[in-house]
Amino acid sequence: MSDWTKERRREDHSIEHEKSFGPSRWSHCRKRGVNGSLRSNSEADDIDKRRNGHADSSYKHPDRRHASFTTPESTGPVSRCGQQADWGSQVEDDEMRRDVHRDMQRYRRRILGAEFTQRERRASSGSSGSCDSREGDNMETDEAVLLRRQKQINYGKNTLAYDRYIKEVPKHMRQPGVHPKTPNKFRKYSRRSWDQQIKLWKVKLHAWDPPAEEGQDKTLDVVEELNLDDVMDIELDFPTITDSQNSQSSLPIHSLSVEDEDCGTPVKVQRTAEPNMS
Amino acid sequence: MENSAEDYRIQSFDLDTQRLLKTALKDPSLVNLEKVSNIIVDQSLKDTVFSKEAGRICYTIVQAEAKQNNGNVFRRHLLNRLQQEFKEREEMRARSLQEWVCYVTFICNIFDYLKVNNMPMVALVHPVYDCLMRLAKPDALMNEDEVDCLVVQLHRIGEQLEKADSQRMNDLFFLLRDGFLLQESLTSMARLLLLEILEFRAGGWMLSSTAHKYYYSEIAD
Repeated sequence: MSDWTKERRREDHSIEHEKSFGPSRWSHCRKRGVNGSLRSNSEADDIDKRRNGHADSSYKHPDRRHASFTTPESTGPVSRCGQQADWGSQVEDDEMRRDVHRDMQRYRRRILGAEFTQRERRASSGSSGSCDSREGDNMETDEAVLLRRQKQINYGKNTLAYDRYIKEVPKHMRQPGVHPKTPNKFRKYSRRSWDQQIKLWKVKLHAWDPPAEEGQDKTLDVVEELNLDDVMDIELDFPTITDSQNSQSSLPIHSLSVEDEDCGTPVKVQRTAEPNMS
Repeated sequence: MENSAEDYRIQSFDLDTQRLLKTALKDPSLVNLEKVSNIIVDQSLKDTVFSKEAGRICYTIVQAEAKQNNGNVFRRHLLNRLQQEFKEREEMRARSLQEWVCYVTFICNIFDYLKVNNMPMVALVHPVYDCLMRLAKPDALMNEDEVDCLVVQLHRIGEQLEKADSQRMNDLFFLLRDGFLLQESLTSMARLLLLEILEFRAGGWMLSSTAHKYYYSEIAD
């Protein structure tokens, strides 16, 4: 697990972990700056130099390769968008890439195996139904997408809640709808659909958060995760939070119900407004 | 089984440090892994014996941490510390040949031991090549310690390196051939070492039995 997933855990649960990078850690690997314009190599390089504390004059290329480095097919150093300067991150990214590819192969084999038995059954029963669930052909294979999704999944799995969940509920005991299920990164979904599935999954996982003193932080986390633009009244035991919510009561209040009462979701969202707001 | 001291060659550390390292091997979450990585790197740069085998202890700690909590804090610190030293290797070499030789030995050892999904770490391929290329330069070939370091590393990881990037291996061996043939200031020992490694690679990273006899017949078994 990389450092930023650990940071996430620390923010959630106040655990001490080494944090070697500041908030701009990933910014130099982004193709575009905050204003959307493309970043030049030298800009990224400057940031690297600043962060690493000194300018290294022996390096001649923006991506910090030794001048003698060339690959047979190309004329110059290969510069990948999103390349990290430090070895720790490079190795982690490499590892994640390999894991994703390995997962992909396993998944393909599983799907093809399942499809084969499906086809056999259909053939023997004489039906000629159209095979519309060809998951093997309709798999998400874009590496960038898979890596992004894997990172999001890692965020969720790298929590105490998830640890407690998998210890408490073995896979074969899981009931659909009741128990959270990790979204399948190999299925084709739109970006919004996927992000929403991840959000809902993580919200569900919060039901297994460690109990007691963390109640306050936990509740705030859930509110942040829902990230709803609509203003709503959230019923809480903490007067300060209720006050800040009440200050927005001049706006129409919507109500939202978060399901799985059975999971003991810590936050209940209720309709509290009068039908008429004047 | 308390044989970890010999296995990992940690006898050279003081007792407190030995205890710290042993804890890191068994229960990484209990120790400051950044501190541990610095201790290991620092010692590797001073102790030629340790630098040859420090990869093993690093590998074990990485595995232990991954198994315990899926973490890789230790690996990250180790690699970034290696990178720091790498950036200043020219100064290191000017300051102390022994430290430089220890560094190359250590980074090659790490390359050998720390694999990712059974593949060598891609991030280290070019830095390792850079180090070996430095050792193949004329001023380095004049020092037997550097030549010795070079050929030892090529024996250990040459095949893997070539698989990772064959073009750079070709470039490296151009330099070695040139050095062997053209450089007058080489000692006869240096020449012997170079000739052996040239034959070793030409033979597919192994010596034929006759070649082995030629080079090693006078060495006690």
